[in-house]
Amino acid sequence: MRTPAAVLALGLTLAIGTPTAWALTRPEPTAGVPVVAALAAPARAPITAPVPAATPPPGDRLPEATARPAAPTVAPVVVPPVRLSLPARGIEAPIDPVGVEPEGEMTLPEDVDRVGWYSYGPVPGAAEGAAVVAGHVDDAEQGLGALAPLREAEPGDEVVVEAADGSTTRWTVTGRETIDKPGVPLGELFARTGAPRLVLITCGGPFDADLRSYRDNVVVVAEPRP
Amino acid sequence: MNRTRPLALVAGTTGALALVLASATSASAADTATVSILHAVPDTPVDVYANGEELLSDFQPGTLTDPLTLPAGEYDLAVFPAGVDPATSQPAIKADDVAVPAGANATVVAHLGESGTPVLTPYVNDLSAVGAGDARLTVRHTAAAPAVDVRAGGTVVVPGLTNPEEASLTVPAGTVSADVTLAGTSTVAIGPADLTLAEGTATVVYAWGSGDAGYELAVQTFTGLHSSPSGVPGGSAGLATDDAGLPLPVVALTALGLGAAAFGARRVVSSRA
Repeated sequence: MRTPAAVLALGLTLAIGTPTAWALTRPEPTAGVPVVAALAAPARAPITAPVPAATPPPGDRLPEATARPAAPTVAPVVVPPVRLSLPARGIEAPIDPVGVEPEGEMTLPEDVDRVGWYSYGPVPGAAEGAAVVAGHVDDAEQGLGALAPLREAEPGDEVVVEAADGSTTRWTVTGRETIDKPGVPLGELFARTGAPRLVLITCGGPFDADLRSYRDNVVVVAEPRP
Repeated sequence: MNRTRPLALVAGTTGALALVLASATSASAADTATVSILHAVPDTPVDVYANGEELLSDFQPGTLTDPLTLPAGEYDLAVFPAGVDPATSQPAIKADDVAVPAGANATVVAHLGESGTPVLTPYVNDLSAVGAGDARLTVRHTAAAPAVDVRAGGTVVVPGLTNPEEASLTVPAGTVSADVTLAGTSTVAIGPADLTLAEGTATVVYAWGSGDAGYELAVQTFTGLHSSPSGVPGGSAGLATDDAGLPLPVVALTALGLGAAAFGARRVVSSRA
């Protein structure tokens, strides 16, 4: 009787194959370069740290002094980003400029279909520093957020940011990491100097139902596409 | 709000005056100091000499130098009307043995005292970090005028400031419409002017001038005092959680497979029996 044997074999294949395939196709918690290294990697055009003023001249010589008018000036207008897309992972979201909450955390749009750009930091496309865009991974009423697929981002993925004037900046993902929140290198992620980078952040890792909070941040770092 | 009274200097011909710049909080290992110079005496271009050497020539009222990195030490400062021969003239303002300690960041302001006498006042700049989303606003009274109130958006934020006092406050970043009134009145002496208080910066506003020459504002900005946000929240439902165990379809399919395997095995065994 061959049918029972076939049923046995098929059953075993299903019983073993299904969880195995599921486990294998889950995104790894980390891909590419660790984010701190990705942030620190040299820019394509090497950035030389601006030398504050002049080095003291030898001997008693005094430095050249340059004077400028000190009248109040109007701050330059920054063109904000308005749309984020990561086509390979199906991410497409409008961007709102955001700041910080009274407690000091970065503000995120209530609408999980929208993402926030940290408007106190560099704008995507600035000469230096990390432009940070973040969003909720989900919400109890609204479901999954626009950045939920971020944990599947892989090195090489293209990211496109459109600005309010219609111009775009293009980026290549270099690293993704899931980091325990207390260990998130906020100073590096929000750096305002150094090589230009795009930093995408959402939540991930295990969910604490009591705190209604995720343990980790999913962080993706991208560098300008040449 | 912090309020401090800097060491005021009398216009000097009376000999050595110690102009002591309080050491900045961060004790820089470098043996240099950072000094900016603001010319806030109306109508009079000047030449500035340090240790007998010309540091600035034809320095115009209302202008500010870029920060100068100077070797720490003592300096004899003298301010002359532009173009005169320092060897044969008396300085308009003079300060000897000015101590410039290593690591300090200061602004030396040539301005009028309350009664209209030219003076040099050193101010120590507070470059400590501000919280994420905040900016530091410092106002310095360097005008030949009595006590003033400084208002932002029509609300008094610094009351009763006298020459050469300064006051600092931390405010949410943004643009404010600032003006200066005679203390306790709504008589506007200067402004209003829009001030951009960028996040993570310190903006120092000087009220300067005189009743005859008019009153103006001068602005000095320091950047890089920002802090990072304390974190990034990002989800509240657990829909994207990583440890929810096996998703239901996976469990169902696995169970189906196990059931089929058990059924098949029983048949295989019974057919052999």
